[in-house]
Amino acid sequence: MATDFSRRTLMQAAAALPLLGMASQIAFGAEGEVIARIETDLKNLDPANRVGSIEDNILQATTQTLARFKPNSLEWEPDAAKTISQVSETEIDFELNPGQMFSDGYGELTADDVKFSLERFLPDAQGNKPAYADDWGALDYVEVTGKYTGKIILKNPAPALWVIGICDSSGTILSKKATTELGGKISTKVVGSGPYVLKEWKPNEHVILEANPDYKGNAPAQLKRIILKPISEWQTALLAFQAKEVTFTEVEPTAVTEVEQDPNSAVIKIDGIDYEWIGVNVEKAPLDDSKVRQAIRYGIDVDAIIAGAWSGTVSRAKTLLAPQLLGHWADAPVYQYDPEKAKALLAEAGVSDLKVTLTCLNDARTQAEAQIVQANLAEAGVTVTINALDGGAYWGMGEGDKSKDLELTIIPYSSKFDPSFQTQWFVSSQVGVWNWQRWKNAEFDKLHSEAASITDEDERARKYVRMQQLLDESASCIWITHGVHNFAHAKSVTPALLPNGVNWQLRYFKSA
Amino acid sequence: MDVYLPILRDIWRSPTGRIGLVLVILILLFAILGPVFSVAPNKIAVQDRFQGPSLQHLLGTDNLGRDLFSRTAQGTRAALAISLIVVALSLLIGAIIGVAAGMAGGWIDRGVIVLFDIISAYPAVILAMGLIALYGVGFTNLLLVVTLLFIPQFGRMARAQTLSLRHQPFIDAERVLGLPMAKLVWRHFLPNVLGPLIVLASMNVPVVITIEAGLSFIGLGVQPPQASLGSLIRDGYVFLNQSWWPTIGSAITLALATLGSTLFGEALRDAADPKLRGRHK
Repeated sequence: MATDFSRRTLMQAAAALPLLGMASQIAFGAEGEVIARIETDLKNLDPANRVGSIEDNILQATTQTLARFKPNSLEWEPDAAKTISQVSETEIDFELNPGQMFSDGYGELTADDVKFSLERFLPDAQGNKPAYADDWGALDYVEVTGKYTGKIILKNPAPALWVIGICDSSGTILSKKATTELGGKISTKVVGSGPYVLKEWKPNEHVILEANPDYKGNAPAQLKRIILKPISEWQTALLAFQAKEVTFTEVEPTAVTEVEQDPNSAVIKIDGIDYEWIGVNVEKAPLDDSKVRQAIRYGIDVDAIIAGAWSGTVSRAKTLLAPQLLGHWADAPVYQYDPEKAKALLAEAGVSDLKVTLTCLNDARTQAEAQIVQANLAEAGVTVTINALDGGAYWGMGEGDKSKDLELTIIPYSSKFDPSFQTQWFVSSQVGVWNWQRWKNAEFDKLHSEAASITDEDERARKYVRMQQLLDESASCIWITHGVHNFAHAKSVTPALLPNGVNWQLRYFKSA
Repeated sequence: MDVYLPILRDIWRSPTGRIGLVLVILILLFAILGPVFSVAPNKIAVQDRFQGPSLQHLLGTDNLGRDLFSRTAQGTRAALAISLIVVALSLLIGAIIGVAAGMAGGWIDRGVIVLFDIISAYPAVILAMGLIALYGVGFTNLLLVVTLLFIPQFGRMARAQTLSLRHQPFIDAERVLGLPMAKLVWRHFLPNVLGPLIVLASMNVPVVITIEAGLSFIGLGVQPPQASLGSLIRDGYVFLNQSWWPTIGSAITLALATLGSTLFGEALRDAADPKLRGRHK
């Protein structure tokens, strides 16, 4: 068959292209569907070794926990459990709803699955612990008392357990059979019993969640599908939102006014409790000298970073825990930029012509921060080389002690509502995992353990303040900001978000 | 000079060649003299961020308050330096390999062609991204990687020219008279090969500028705080909702630099081709 491509044919084809684009946009806006932008692709769906909030959000939509947070709230209600109650400081009893089925034909959710899922957080025979082991650090064992009943026995009181363990992704109930069969594939596949199923994951393209037809719980999916599209650049995300290619995305604070001008869009603002800081590797000479680290702290103008890279839309952090959290150190010192003092400290340490590498993510805002740091430290006689990495390479440094060669690093971490979730990344056992400062302090470790196991809030707060004082004395962390979260959404979508702005409750997203 | 003047005259007589030549001269002057009339391109002044054009900042300032005129000049200089170095290096290495392969023939020639095919089989930017991801970002690696991408083009042309010359009667005569191989190459092959290679080089300058800008746009090219036209466009794009000046200056400069060098290269090719020379008279 001969095909005649005349100029007219080509013109007609060209004219049809925009229509194809429009058709795809119409498809994007389908009824009962939300298209949400995620900042990076998902990496590890194993609840005990997940990487960040993207995995959290997917797990919370596709699996069940014994109890779950109510929409937009830290109050909780039973999820997989019919009843769950704390009978003493070290015992929690639960009874599961019968008939809750795992996807992919893996059968009914039973108390055995709960025991298997929670005890995965305990150290193995060799003492190896998963990344999120501290969330269940108080767990002794789970006793199965019947097909649907059991007891969670703790070694010590754990005031944070409900918030960061039971209701959160660390409380995810996996199918014992599926997890055993899947082995390492659990990092990319979810066999859950939640209101949605993970229908498809095309790396760097999309993640599709579909309503689970076999869901038997009391909070069924409100939408047919949720499509998560990785878009790393904020400006691209904004343009995608304005083009209606996505209906929900976090946007830069500077874009809020622009979004609000669109009558079909709305913005949700949540003050952040996250923490971004510049970590200094205390093992790497000459940064192993406290005076050099103090010099670097005085040599960085955090106010200029806030003004230049964040457009002045956030306030400066002066310590690890945000003001909204228990244990916030209100009297923490604020180190003002003082290049002369930095020079004097370097001279005192006998260090001259210092050259350091600053590792950071390669998004525009972080690179702007890095360039300000570079310019600041140049004033103090320190030469900074910027090593900007994409998200995959950057977060991959949390594996296998790859972080040991870092010097300075701009690190953004997300937070949960109990201070123990934040402090856990700074303990000695996290060196080689997420403690990229490689700072070890026995007192800090002891306080972290103690504070996680007492119920007196004032006493807990005092311990967390002391821990932040120790971090401050180490001069291993230069705090930048707790951030802010601004979410743009089409008015046709009603999102649900926990008050930290990081955890999206996809299971409660619905059409307006 | 007798050879070059008619070529230059032909370029000037071609309307597009004239535009290309003027643009190339203007871009060169901007890159060389820009810094003389402006402030330090990497000087951060956060309090001056996103200013519009003024006498103090002719193209405004970026998100860190840096002078965009200076940074655009710095980026233009980087683009021109990289493109000229890359083209010169790949011309030199390609010419040596191509002439050697053409002269040697046999398995050496076939091996070189296979190697060129392997390099050319990958899309240029994808191969560059892969190599830079492997060996790390930085000015030297950028130069080496982009040079590697362009060697096959020059090598193939040098080889083809060599093969066509190899059996010419005057070459055979020189051989019979006992002229050593090195002198034969120096006296006859290189001069005959060089002309077409220079034309090819001029055509490749805008391509290299675009590749460098593309790699810098995705963060794999020139590293901060040094500016590149690609990184300037990227930064401008990210902050587009706050100010469009950072994008405008760098994007227009990149467009003019590639347009000018393309038009100039095409005019040079036409002027250097004896069949086309003088058609604009």
